[in-house]
Amino acid sequence: MGPLSNVESLKFYAPEMVLSAGILLILIVDLIGDRMYKRKGGVSNRKVHGTLALVTLVVAGAVLWWVNHSTPESEVPRGVAIFGGLLARDAFGDFFKYFFLGVTFVVGLMSMRSRDAIDHTDGDRDAGEYFALTLTTTLGLFMMATATDMLTAFLGLELVSIMGYVLAGFKRRDRKSSEAALKYVIYGGVASGAMLFGLSLLYGLAGTTSLAGIKASAAVAASPTTLITAVTLVLAGFGYKIASVPFHMWCPDVYEGAPTPVTAFLSVGPKAAGFAMLIRFFGGALPETLLAKGALLDSSPWPLILGASAAITMTVGNLSALGQQNIKRMFAYSSIAHAGYLLLGLVALSGGGSGSRSILFYLVTYLFMNLGAFLVVIALAESGLGENVDDYKGLGTRNPFIAVVLCIFLFSLTGLPPFAGFAGKFLVFSALLEHPTSMNVFLAILGVVNSAISLYYYARLAKVMFFDKAAEGAGPIKVYGVHAATLTVLAVPTIFLGVYWAPLLDAADQAIRAGAPAVIGAARAVAGL
Amino acid sequence: MDFISMITPEALVFFGLATLAVAGALGVALASNILYSGFALMATLGGVAGLYLFIGLDFLGIAQLLIYVGGILVLILFAVLLTNRIGAVNVTNVSAPRALGGAGALGLLGLLTHVAVKTDWVLTTPVSTPTTARIGDAFLREYLLPFEVASIVLLMSLVGAMVIARRAVRDRPLPPVQGATAPVDGAERLL
Amino acid sequence: MLQSYLPASVAILFGLAFAGLFLAGAILLGPKRDSAVKLSPFECGSEPIGSPRVRFSVKFYQVAILFLVFDIESAFMYPWATVFRDISCTGAIVRGICTAGRTSYVGFVSMGTFIAVLVIALAYVWKKKAIGWD
Repeated sequence: MGPLSNVESLKFYAPEMVLSAGILLILIVDLIGDRMYKRKGGVSNRKVHGTLALVTLVVAGAVLWWVNHSTPESEVPRGVAIFGGLLARDAFGDFFKYFFLGVTFVVGLMSMRSRDAIDHTDGDRDAGEYFALTLTTTLGLFMMATATDMLTAFLGLELVSIMGYVLAGFKRRDRKSSEAALKYVIYGGVASGAMLFGLSLLYGLAGTTSLAGIKASAAVAASPTTLITAVTLVLAGFGYKIASVPFHMWCPDVYEGAPTPVTAFLSVGPKAAGFAMLIRFFGGALPETLLAKGALLDSSPWPLILGASAAITMTVGNLSALGQQNIKRMFAYSSIAHAGYLLLGLVALSGGGSGSRSILFYLVTYLFMNLGAFLVVIALAESGLGENVDDYKGLGTRNPFIAVVLCIFLFSLTGLPPFAGFAGKFLVFSALLEHPTSMNVFLAILGVVNSAISLYYYARLAKVMFFDKAAEGAGPIKVYGVHAATLTVLAVPTIFLGVYWAPLLDAADQAIRAGAPAVIGAARAVAGL
Repeated sequence: MDFISMITPEALVFFGLATLAVAGALGVALASNILYSGFALMATLGGVAGLYLFIGLDFLGIAQLLIYVGGILVLILFAVLLTNRIGAVNVTNVSAPRALGGAGALGLLGLLTHVAVKTDWVLTTPVSTPTTARIGDAFLREYLLPFEVASIVLLMSLVGAMVIARRAVRDRPLPPVQGATAPVDGAERLL
Repeated sequence: MLQSYLPASVAILFGLAFAGLFLAGAILLGPKRDSAVKLSPFECGSEPIGSPRVRFSVKFYQVAILFLVFDIESAFMYPWATVFRDISCTGAIVRGICTAGRTSYVGFVSMGTFIAVLVIALAYVWKKKAIGWD
C-alpha cells in the first residue's frame, strides 16, 4: 500500500493532535487562569496544569488504542507510510508511543509534588509552562520514533532538544541549573550541526530525504568514504541524544543541574527516541554492503563503528561513575553506561541479528528501574534529604520501604537476577552472540565485565543505606503518598519482568514483526490533497 | 585545461561569495574579541545568502538575509552586549593544545575535501524560475505536516525563551554599574 | 540566470562604491592634527567615569526574540501567499486538484491553523507582559 495522503493520514496522527491540543489548552488556561480558578482559592496552579497534562496523556493513549482497534488490518495495514512518506504508522512506532506516554505520565506525577521542578514560592507561577514544555517534548519524541524521512527525524530531534534546554534550566535562582541549560544548548547545537551536515551529505548522495530512498539509491552504496563520513557525522546527533561517548560530556552536568524530574525524563525519553531512530536508520536506511571501486567490501562497516562506540561508552560510563559522590551525577554516568549496553543490541542488529527486540525490551526495563531510582531521589529531596551518597546513610532505618525499593532498582540496574535488568542484559548479550564473531564475543565479555564494575557503585549506595549509621538526631523520613504509590507501581514490574518476561518479549516481537523497523513505504510519493 | 577560460563571470561571483563566507567563518573562530566574532558572522551569513541567490534559490536567499542576518545575528549581538564582562572571558580552550586542534581541523578539511571532490553527487539542474511558489506548494502538500508542526515549535520556543528571559528580569538583582553614581537614562535604570 | 541579478548587483556596487569613496575622501583629504586633548574621550565636559560599554537590559533581548519568532512566521507566510489563489482554485485550475466551480479550503485551513497557534503565542507574550516596558 502506498503512502497515505495528508487527509487520510490525519486519523493516524490523532494521538499527536490530542497532545498538541493539550499543550494549547494548558497555555490558554495559564493565561486566563486568574479568572477561572485562582480567585476561588484552594486550587494551586501545579494541580490544575499537572492534572490537565496527565489527562491529555491518558486521552492520547486511549485515542492511540482506539485508532488501532477501529481500523481493520484489511483496510489500512499496520506498517503504512503516512503524510506521503514523512512518518510511519507501524507497530514499532506505536510501541514507542505507549512507552513515551508512560514515561511522561510518571514524570508528570513526579513533577506535581516536586519543589525542584516547580517553584512554590510565588504560587507555582511557572507550572503551566513546565507542563506545556513537557508535553511538547513528548510530541517531539513521537515524531522521532515514527520519522521515516530525514526532515521529520530532524524536526522531532530539534523539538525534543529545544524543550530539553528550557526544562534543564527551569530551576530558578540556581546557578547549576542555568549552567546545565547552557551546556546542553552548546553541546546540542554542535551535535545538531554535525548531524545536519551528515544528513546533507546523505541527501547529496541519494537525492532524496526519505530513508527508503537512501536504501534504494545505488549511489549510496557505491561511495563508501562519503557514506561512512556522513554516517559518522549523523551518529554525532544520535550519540548526543542517547549520551554515548564521546558525545556524553553534557550529561553529568545537565543531570546534576536540571530539576530531578527533568533529569529523569531526559535520561529515559530522548534516549529511547534516539534508539528508535537508530534502529530505523541502521535497520532500514543504510545499505548492508558497500561497493568500493566496483568491488564489494568484505563486510559491513556498521557493526565495527557501533561496536567501538558501545565498548568505549560502557567502559567510560562505568569507570567514571565509580568515584561520584553526587547521586544524580552517578546516575548520569550510569545512564551513559546503559547507552553502551543498548548500543550492543544495535551492533547485533546491524550485523543481521535480532538486536532490535532486545533493545525494545531493555528500554522498557530501563524505564521502570531508572525512573524509579530518580523518583526515590525526588521523594527524599522533598523531605529535605540531600543528593549526596553520604546523605543516604542509615536510610535503611529511617525509612525501610524507600531503602528496599531503591535497592531493587539499583540491583536491577546492575543486571543481577532476579530483576528486570538481568533479563534485558541477558537478551542483549544473547542477541550479540547469535553471530559469535570474535568482535561480538569480545563485546559480550566486556559487557559482563562492565556489569561487574557497575555492581561496585550501585552496591556502595546500598551499603551506605543499610550498614552506615545515620547522623545524630536523624529521625524517620516520611514521603508523599503519591510518591510511595508510584514507586510501588515501578518496583513491581522491575521484579516481575526479571522472573517472567514472556509478555513483554512478545510485545517487543510484535512491534518489530513484518520488518517494521525497516523503512516503511517506497520512495517518497507526493501526497495529493 | 586552459586556466584562463575557467575564469567566467559565474566563477568570479561564486568564488567571491565563497571567500566572503569562509573569511567570515575564520573571523568568527579567530577573532579575539567576541563582538568582532559576531560581526564576522554577518559576512558568513551574507555570503551564504549570496550563494543561495547564485544557484537561483531566490526565496531561500532572502529568507536567509531576513532571518539570519536581520534576526539571529541581532540576537547574538544583543546577547554579547547584555553579558557582563564578556570581554574578560578567555575564549581559548586551554585543555586541548593548539597544535592538536589545528591538526584535527586540517585532517577534517582534508577528509571533507576528498568527500566533496571524489563523490558522484546527485546533480540537479539549476533553477531558473522563481522558487517561492514552488516552496509554497510544497508547504501545502508534501510538507504540510512539518509546516504545521513548525507553528508548535515556534510557539513553544517562544514560551521557553520567555520563561528563561523573564526570570532574568524578575529574579536577579543585578550588580550596580561600576562607577555609575546615578541612573543616566532609561536603559540604565532598568539595569 | 545571473543576468537577472544584474540590476541588484549594480545597486549594491553603487552603494559600496559611494560609501568607500566618501570614507576614502575623508581619510585622504581631511587635515589631521591630533593632540592629547582632542583624543581624550568627551563626556559633556565632565571627566569620563567607568566603562563606555553600557550593558543593555535583558528586556531588549526579549523583544528581539519576539521579533525573530514573528519574523519567521512572516517568512512562512510569503510562499503560502504566492500559491493561495491556485490552491484555493479561485484562479486557474491547476495541478489536477481543483474541480471546476469548487473552492478548496486547504490553503485557508492550513494557514489558519498555523496562525491560530501563533496567535496563542501573541496572547501569551501579551498577558505575561513580555511586550511593554514595565
